[in-house]
Amino acid sequence: MWEWILIGVLALVGFIFFIYYNRFVILGNRIDNSLSQIDVQLKRRADLIPNLIETVKAFAKHEKAAIKAVTDARKALVGAKGIEKKVKADNQLESALKSIFAIAENYPDLKANTNFIELQRELSSTEDRVAYARQFYNDSILAYNNLCKALPGAFFAKLYGKTEKEYLKITEAERKVVKVKF
Amino acid sequence: MKDEYKRIDFRDQISRNKNKSVFLMIIIFCVFVLFGYVISLAFEPGFFFLIMIISIIFSVSYIWISFYNSHKIAIASVGAKKASRTQHKQFYSLVEGLTIASGMPMPELYIMPSEQINAFASGRDPKNAVICVTDGALEKLDKRELEAVLAHELGHVANYDIRYMTLTAVMVGMIAIVSQIFLRSLWFRGGNDKDKGIFIVIGIIMAILAPIVVSLVQMAISRKREFVADASAVKFTRYPLALINALKKIQADNFPPEKLVSKVVAPLFFANPFKKLGSTHPPIAKRIEALERM
Repeated sequence: MWEWILIGVLALVGFIFFIYYNRFVILGNRIDNSLSQIDVQLKRRADLIPNLIETVKAFAKHEKAAIKAVTDARKALVGAKGIEKKVKADNQLESALKSIFAIAENYPDLKANTNFIELQRELSSTEDRVAYARQFYNDSILAYNNLCKALPGAFFAKLYGKTEKEYLKITEAERKVVKVKF
Repeated sequence: MKDEYKRIDFRDQISRNKNKSVFLMIIIFCVFVLFGYVISLAFEPGFFFLIMIISIIFSVSYIWISFYNSHKIAIASVGAKKASRTQHKQFYSLVEGLTIASGMPMPELYIMPSEQINAFASGRDPKNAVICVTDGALEKLDKRELEAVLAHELGHVANYDIRYMTLTAVMVGMIAIVSQIFLRSLWFRGGNDKDKGIFIVIGIIMAILAPIVVSLVQMAISRKREFVADASAVKFTRYPLALINALKKIQADNFPPEKLVSKVVAPLFFANPFKKLGSTHPPIAKRIEALERM
């Protein structure tokens, strides 16, 4: 009789250890996965830029400064290493794009071009997605950190050597409202 | 920064609503068990076992079929068609964005012909889910409002409301069938044993009351779940104002009650499709109030 109770208790304890280990693995994987999702969306955004530049060049050739700003920002985004730097480069690109779209107001033909309208829509929807992917990344980290900090997860976190992870931060400079020059 | 979020965090709202629906589920379960108990007291064991075997076989296949086909039935019953990726680009791109925000698989998208601004979700889990919107919603809502409505439906999917409501509907149907069997079988019984007479009376009362109680509970659950889905929508979009605006548009919109919609699907709609019978959904003003506090 006693042996069976002991075996039962041990099995239960083992099961709890197993469950918590899996929770850490699952939540950890979710963080990695959401991180790569940000990457995917940023790449998609960068891929749309050359098309946009071609279209803008066809209608507004002499807006060289604005066009150059976008191409440079794209180059910086493609070349950036690490997610923080990539997000920073994307913000740069976003402000460069804003001035391009502001310039387009002066060129009725460009503004009415279906290709341009389509690209504008695509770019703004990828920007939403980047924001959503970042949000989900931070949500995933929140879930992971809650597990690390709250009991009984904190006990298992120590046991398995898991520590809290860092949120994706936006630096002070980027938080400033981007000014659009006309 | 912190004080801003002190009032009601949407995470609290979600967990509180979840606890309440667990409580209501227990009530449904108790009604069901009590019903079975009274039936077993009212009949002789031999007769009871025969009924039980038949009804178990029947109900298992009933649950099986409705569990795996619920979304097909829902889609077919409102006459919805699959949304085309080229024609409804915005619809697809908004849902794709929301699946990134929520980390969920892409649901199948449908469009139903209706002037109302409305939408619903169905299926058994996030991997086998459908989201359906009306023509009216696509026309009358702007991008952000439509996104908020879609996020609300995705919230139903993420919270497993779609499965839960399917199972509740299955259970309501089952209780109705059991009580019918019970009432009808009384016709074929002689009234010999006087001890059991009182139980038969209780049985009849319960057979009449049980389906009513269950559907009342179902309505109460579904009303709570609208608040949870609203909270989830805000969790995905972080923009309660768009959802408030969408609700206000529905409030202002004068539409005829939807004839195509069956009562079983009604709880999963964004707003009550019957408008006047405001039972499956909380009043829109209450939902706006809850959203304004987030």
